[in-house]
Order: sequence, then structure tokens, then C-alpha cells
Amino acid sequence: MKHEIREEAAGVVVAFEGDVDLQTSPDARKVLLDCVRQGKSIVVDLSKVGYIDSSGVASLVESFQSARKGGRNLVLASVSEGALRVLKLARLDKVFTICDSVEDGLAAIG
Amino acid sequence: MPDASPQASALESTQKSIAFDQLELLAEMSRDFASSRDMQASLEKAVAHITEYIQADGGALFMLNAAGDKLICEASVGATEIKGLTLPSDQGIVGRSVQNHSAEIVRDVQNDPNFYNKVDEKTGFTTRSIICAPLRVKDERIGAIELINKRSADGLFSEDDLRLLETMSASAGLAIHNARQADALVEQEVLARELELAAEIQRSLLPEERGDEFPVHGVNIPARTVSGDFFDFFELDDGRVCFNLGDVSGKGMNAALLMAKTASLFRCLGKTIHQPGRLMALINKEVCETAARGMFVTMVGGIYDPRSGIVRIANAGHEPPLFFSESGDCTAFEAEAPPLGITTFLADGDRYPENEFQLAGGSFYIFTDGVTEGYQADGSELEVAGLINILKAGKEKTAAARLADVVRVILGGERAIRDDTTLLCLEDRARLPAGSGPATGIFAEDAAGDLGVEILNLEVPSQPDRLKLVRNAIAQAALFTDCSDETAQDVVIAVDEALQNVIRHAYSNQPDGKIKVTVSRTTENLIILIRDYAETINIETVQPRDLDDIRPGGLGTHFMREVMDEVSFLPPPDGQGNLLKLVKRIA
Repeated sequence: MKHEIREEAAGVVVAFEGDVDLQTSPDARKVLLDCVRQGKSIVVDLSKVGYIDSSGVASLVESFQSARKGGRNLVLASVSEGALRVLKLARLDKVFTICDSVEDGLAAIG
Repeated sequence: MPDASPQASALESTQKSIAFDQLELLAEMSRDFASSRDMQASLEKAVAHITEYIQADGGALFMLNAAGDKLICEASVGATEIKGLTLPSDQGIVGRSVQNHSAEIVRDVQNDPNFYNKVDEKTGFTTRSIICAPLRVKDERIGAIELINKRSADGLFSEDDLRLLETMSASAGLAIHNARQADALVEQEVLARELELAAEIQRSLLPEERGDEFPVHGVNIPARTVSGDFFDFFELDDGRVCFNLGDVSGKGMNAALLMAKTASLFRCLGKTIHQPGRLMALINKEVCETAARGMFVTMVGGIYDPRSGIVRIANAGHEPPLFFSESGDCTAFEAEAPPLGITTFLADGDRYPENEFQLAGGSFYIFTDGVTEGYQADGSELEVAGLINILKAGKEKTAAARLADVVRVILGGERAIRDDTTLLCLEDRARLPAGSGPATGIFAEDAAGDLGVEILNLEVPSQPDRLKLVRNAIAQAALFTDCSDETAQDVVIAVDEALQNVIRHAYSNQPDGKIKVTVSRTTENLIILIRDYAETINIETVQPRDLDDIRPGGLGTHFMREVMDEVSFLPPPDGQGNLLKLVKRIA
């Protein structure tokens, strides 16, 4: 799994690429929590994440809760079909704000 | 004797008419009511007879309605047609007669303050004189018969006419009363027959006893003709057995109808949905949408796998079912969710909480409060403690004989049973306790069932970086069976989560464990077996977590249960490690 962080006016865009699973989710968690600690609102771009497992979902949830506690936001953007299936299984599609595009995501956290 | 002269014939006819006394009227009306069962026609005939006999211009018969506040003209003959005329029951001369239980004669009608003159105004008929007598039996007011204008020069009735009408009305009242009672009896008989038919259909909804070898036995004794209790069990194609026992609030026909509905839903949906918690959530939704207000159903539903010995149940607000382990320990499974039909907002999202345990030579009982609140011979209630005693005392008997023991105690008391009494027992004497089976080899056939054709068999070390390899292999293996992309994706999710559990929990992240994965298919199912060699885990700790509790972790088991049709732990071969079976229907 690779990731890219892009600074924008409204916050940061974190784009992951590859699978977020038991092997890689600790990295994803660290990246996201670092951004939260810097007091940033986050758009997580999941367009290039083909697979996310329960540990990956757990990293998203933890970062989301941590961001909200600090008065920041975390939204998901252009979620791939595979990732959306898993979010729906966890009923988290109702918890996260899920935006169609990164632009929409930035508008949502702005 | 020569032919009768016209005068003689007329005389004879008058005599006949006079001979038509009240007893004959009673007999005639009763015959009429009995033969035609057309009350209306019989009433008209009776009024015509009486009007003719007393020689009045017109006659009318009024009946009190059921509420007793209105008098309705049911039959009228002669001068004016007033059939259907409705009066307040305390109005008019008729009203006075009915209210006072007294016969009335009014010779100067136009000056009587009670005279209802609207009819005359409408018809142009002039009422001069009225006699009226109540129809009644003892204190029961039925109505009254009113005659108008004597057919004589002055048109006035005499006191004799009044007495005649009074006697004839008494007879008519009795005939009407009898006819009504006969109708009520017929109605009651029809109802009783219908109730018996309903009971017969209800009995046919209960499953037949399958003999001592079968793991489920049940008994149901309705307190009335029909029952609000039910139980059912049926086998799935793969040999697993679904069972349930429920109790509808209330008794009688409405409870019986809701019972029929709930039992049918369980039987129908239970054939495709094999997770009791999900199944009952669906039934709950259905019952909530359509059940009459205030009615609900308590139920325990479950599924038993004779190969693994695993029992999975969900309890919707029902009396805690009891599990007696082989050694005699007793566990009660308290309800963790409300009865069906109360609310669709379940704490656990879209499912009722489940409990899972190994039958392992023990016995599982579900029963209604008709059992525990049943009276014993000494008049005291049986209660749970009493039930436990009977069941323990009958440990050596067959399950059916044990249930019969309980019923005998409840039926043996002096008093009639107060509530529907229903019991179900799950016990598998044919199956040996877990671990003692003859399982050998990695995937013992007899434990895992028919595995069909093997597609893939791989072994990986317990390391997270191998998960992607396994996912790719599983995806390809699934697609190899021609299943849809979505199905393949779901199978990948389940296997990945299962392997994660093995790595994290069974091997506690130790990288040197061995994990074997086998994919095979039967005509209907894709079957995945996942075997590890770690310490055998306690199944209780791998329950799906509460989804409303949003927090990281613990989701994997929920995912597996969600996407697969079956997730079950089998007894590990050689008693070592764990063996998880995942089944996805693909046909």
C-alpha cells in the first residue's frame, strides 16, 4: 500500500493506493492519526483502494473519532466499490460522510 | 249431506277464524320460524293473522333494536304501509306500551298527547282508535303490536279487543323469543364448528413426532380449542435442524391467527436464512408491520448442526430456555431482546442477539409459561424449579417420555389447565459428545459433511503479508466455480477475516503458526475450511459485536456471518487446534 498527502486550504487529502489489510492498516492508521494530531481536517481518497478489511475499517473509525474529538472532520471520498461493500457490511456508510469526489470532500470539511 | 250452502260455508269460516286462538297462533308462528327461518315473512304473517282476527283496518309490529333506543316497524298490513318506520323507543303509543309493559287502548287518538301523528299527515289516513300490546317474555322487551281502527261504523276498539290482542301478543312474543334463541344456538354451533376447524388446521401446523432417533421433540396442549402457543422443527437439505417455540400474547382466535402467521414465517424464511438472529429480526419486522396493536410473540428460535453438535439460538423476550449439560449442570438463556412485534429498533442493528453452545450429550428445553405456571396436584404452581426436578428425574428416559412426564403433572391437578402448555426438547443421543468422535485426518469427512469437489488446498504461515496471496487465490478459486464477482468478493472478505482471527487471536501474532485453507464445492455450495494448530479457542469469545457500539476492532466475525450462509466451528480433528467451516450458497 502506498499513500500520498496533499495540503489544501480546507485540510489535507490523504490518498491511499493498494490494499488496506492486516499487513498495511497499521501504516494507514499512523498516517491518518499524524494528520489528526496536526489539527487537520482530512479527506481520505479511497479511489485506488481495491480492498479494505476490518482492521483497515477500524483505522478509519479510530482516526474519525480522534478528529471529531479535536473539533476536526474526516470524510471519505471516491470510495471504490470493494471498499464501499465493506463499509456497508460494518454499517459505517451511515456513520462516515462519503463524498463522490475529493473536491466534494474538501467542500464538506471546509 | 247435500252441498253446504254459502251461508253455512261463511259461518264455518268465521268459526274457523275464531278457533284460531292464541295457542294456535303460537304454534303457527313457531312452525313458520322453524320451517322458513325467515323471521320477516313470519312476522308479516303473524300481524296479518292478528289484524284479521280482531278485524282492524291495519296492524303493525314494532321491534326494539339491539341498543334498545329505537322501535322499528318490521311488518305492517292494511291501511297504511309503515314498514321501516323508526321511532325513539319512548315515543308514541307504541313506545309507551313497550316502556310500561302494558297494553294500551286509545279510543280518541287525536287527543292523545302520545299519538305520533306524522303518519296520518303523510298518508291522509285518519286514525281514530288504537290498541297496542307489548311483545315480551318475562322482563325481556321485544317490541309491540299495534292495531288501527276497528272495522266498524265508529272505528273504535273495545276492551275485549284489547284483551285479545294482549293474549295474542304474548304468544307472538314467545314465538319470536324462541326463534331468536334457536338462531343464537345455530350461530353458536356454526362458531363451534369453525373453531374446531381452526384447531384442526392449527394442529396440522405442528410437526409430527419423528421418533427417538430424531433430535427434536415437542408437545402442545391448548387451554382452549385453539392455542396461542406453537413449536416447530424441520430439517434443512444439509441435515441441520431448525426449531422454534413461541407464545402469542393472549388466547383465543386472534392469538391463534398471529401464531399461524408467525409459525409460517419462521418455517418459510427459516429454509433460506440460517442465522436465528437475522431470521427473527426479519419475522419481527413483518409482525411489527402487520400485527394488531398490542399483540406480540415471545419466541426462541434456533438451528442445530448434528455434525458439529453446535446449537445456535436467539431469544426474543421468551422465558429463558434451559440447557442441561451431560454432567447435569443447568444454564438458563435469558432474553436479551424484546418479543417479536414490539419494535423494529433492535439494539443489535438488524438481528437478535444469538447464543451458541455445544450440545455435547446435553439436553436443551424451551417451554411456555403455561408449563411453569401450571398447577400441580396439590394446587401449587410447578415453577422452573419443579420443571427442572421432573426433567432431571427422567434423565434416563427418552426425551418424549420426559416431556410426557411434565404434561402428566400439569394435567394431573384438580384444576383445568389455565394456559396453553408447550414444551420442546433438543437432545441428540445418537451423537457422541464433542471430541470423542472418530475424526481423523485433517478434515474429517463426518464432521465437515459432504465437501464435494476440492478446488484449492493451500498452507500459509501465520503472517499478515500472506493475506494478499490468500485473497488472490480465493478470488480465483471462487471465480473458477462460475460464481458472480460479488459472491467472489464476499467469499474473499470472509476468508480474509477468518485468517486474521487465526493470526491475531489463535496464534497471538506469532509468525510460525500453520494455517491450512481448503476450497471445495458441491452442486449448491462453496465450502471453505480453515484449520489451525493453535490452542482451541472458546467459541463464546468469537461472537459478532454490537454494531451500534462504534469502535475499532471486533468486526471480523460480524463480516463473516454477514456475507456467508454458514459460519461454524467444527470439532478439531485429533482434538487439536481449530477448524472453521464457511459456506456460501452459489447455486
